[in-house]
Amino acid sequence: MRSRTYQVSYAGLVSLSTQPATWWWSFAGLALLALAPAWFGSHGLNMLTTIFVVSIGVLGLNLLSGVAGQISLGHAGFLLIGAYAQAILTTDYRIPTLLAIPMAGGVAAVASLVVGVPSLRLKGLYLAITTLAFTFIVRHVVLFAEEVTRGSAGMPVEALSVLGVSFKGDQRFYYAALAMLVLFVFITLNLMRTRIGRAWLALRDHDIAARAMGIDLMRYKLLAFMVSAFYTGVAGAMVALQTRFVNVDTFSVLISIEALAMIIVGGMGRVHGAILGAALILLLPELLNLGFDAAGDGVRTLMADRIYEIKGLMYGVVILLFLRLEPEGLAGIWRKSKRFWVQWPLSQ
Amino acid sequence: MNYFLNLVTSGLVIGSLYGLVAMGFAIVYRATGMVNFAQGEVMMLIAYISFSLATIPGIGFGPLLVCVLAVSVLLGLAIERVFIRPMLGEPMFSRVMVTIGLAVVIRSVVILVWGVEPTAFPRPFGNAVIRFAGLALYPGQIFALVSLAVLCVLMWLFFSRSRIGIAMRATSNNETTALLMGINVKRISGIAWALSAVFAAFAGLAFCLMFSLEPEISQMGLRGFPATILGGLDSVIGGALGGLVIGVFENLAGGYLGRGLKEIAGFVLIIVVLMVKPYGLFGQREIERV
Repeated sequence: MRSRTYQVSYAGLVSLSTQPATWWWSFAGLALLALAPAWFGSHGLNMLTTIFVVSIGVLGLNLLSGVAGQISLGHAGFLLIGAYAQAILTTDYRIPTLLAIPMAGGVAAVASLVVGVPSLRLKGLYLAITTLAFTFIVRHVVLFAEEVTRGSAGMPVEALSVLGVSFKGDQRFYYAALAMLVLFVFITLNLMRTRIGRAWLALRDHDIAARAMGIDLMRYKLLAFMVSAFYTGVAGAMVALQTRFVNVDTFSVLISIEALAMIIVGGMGRVHGAILGAALILLLPELLNLGFDAAGDGVRTLMADRIYEIKGLMYGVVILLFLRLEPEGLAGIWRKSKRFWVQWPLSQ
Repeated sequence: MNYFLNLVTSGLVIGSLYGLVAMGFAIVYRATGMVNFAQGEVMMLIAYISFSLATIPGIGFGPLLVCVLAVSVLLGLAIERVFIRPMLGEPMFSRVMVTIGLAVVIRSVVILVWGVEPTAFPRPFGNAVIRFAGLALYPGQIFALVSLAVLCVLMWLFFSRSRIGIAMRATSNNETTALLMGINVKRISGIAWALSAVFAAFAGLAFCLMFSLEPEISQMGLRGFPATILGGLDSVIGGALGGLVIGVFENLAGGYLGRGLKEIAGFVLIIVVLMVKPYGLFGQREIERV
């Protein structure tokens, strides 16, 4: 029987992976994803790209809400800032698209200080509402600063190109999004095992106790906000690059709620949970379409004008079901089923 | 000066709507320590149900109000029993997310059942402008102001005189001690949700009487947050005052500064207020032990 708990050194406790097999499985999964364009049509490929891009933002929210324990309803705002920063930097300032992506993240990180600084004195629900206020304010500023953002008309975005190689087209951008997601997963996994990651965990579990243990609350809370906003800003830039057009209406408050649903469905504070959650929530409408196909044309035409509400209903029901039945989310299901098979036939 | 007075009056009217919403938030927070993010959606659902009731031929405003209140009490109790009580003891994050999930579900169901187009709500008091001391008000606006005032007084009496109100204060202060003193904590939570649905009913009716029946009603829940925060999440009367202040502030900002500032003035105000007073103007500071 494999055992993962026996460690003889401190380095072993904080290492990225305790089993060499994990690396091989990861590489195999990555290789499968790299071959995916061969199987999927343009629709399927677009779907996967969206999942990758959204996962980056959800990883960021997961760091803030799942790991550091600060509820945020303001991530739609950061996503919006990232997307507009990408559009404006590449169009008006002629900055290379690849360089603009981290800059978009940086702009979002700086903007996060607007919420981060009041958050130093706020907790829990007061904080959630302040971040909600932030989203409203950002949307408003973007709508009314027409000289910079073109207001409600939105603006087109240049395609991604790296050193003269253009990433136009579904297939090329798919690889760009995959590479970006792998990079951010790697950063997150490493961040979680450093002093910073552990400080965030302590802050989530009890902030006053954490302070008594010598963790500078102000520094780590602000850092959590900035890092999380950076991720989401980068995700926003990628969204802009994928859709090639930004508009305020795309980034409603509902996006923040959807993102929270993703980390709940996936499992709070888990890296693979964030990605699984994003995938499940984004694939739900596809399942719905399959169901309609099975039910025939009559049902489809009947439901066609209500599709948005039916999707909303599904999100809500999925959130409620996961909270009631599986609070650990998909990551919890994964852990339990893995343990079941590892310990079989002794599993309970 | 006349312009100023008009801005203040319409600010007070819209503020009384915010106040009603904020009181609904505060009473749930007081009894159960959580924010009901579905308050706006409950308000929307009750407004649509009351629209269906109002189309019954020959129903007067009195019977309608009684029916709507009965429906809202039942709705509040049902939500508490089915969705909230099973989550007792779970982390705050999960409990709040339940209300967010509920909000999404209610909004979708209401639109699926009643459709998305705005509909004119019957006007039981007519549509004639009532002039009073140089101010012109519609009957719906007077309804909003009067309901806020009456409910404020009732709430003050409820919390200071009635047995249940005092039990509710005890529960919010310390749940375990309240339980040991023989208070039925579960019942208190049910009553709080029923009361918050009653506030939602008044807010929903006032909204329909002033504007029309439309899915936008649910937005009032989010727009009521600044009022709730300004008054302090745990102060019911504070929420009413906060609503009036926010309403007037928004209207003045929109009227004198312009550029659509009306929409966000409240949110800007609370970010500033929270930096100075993290528990709102009337909220109590939470003291916790490690």
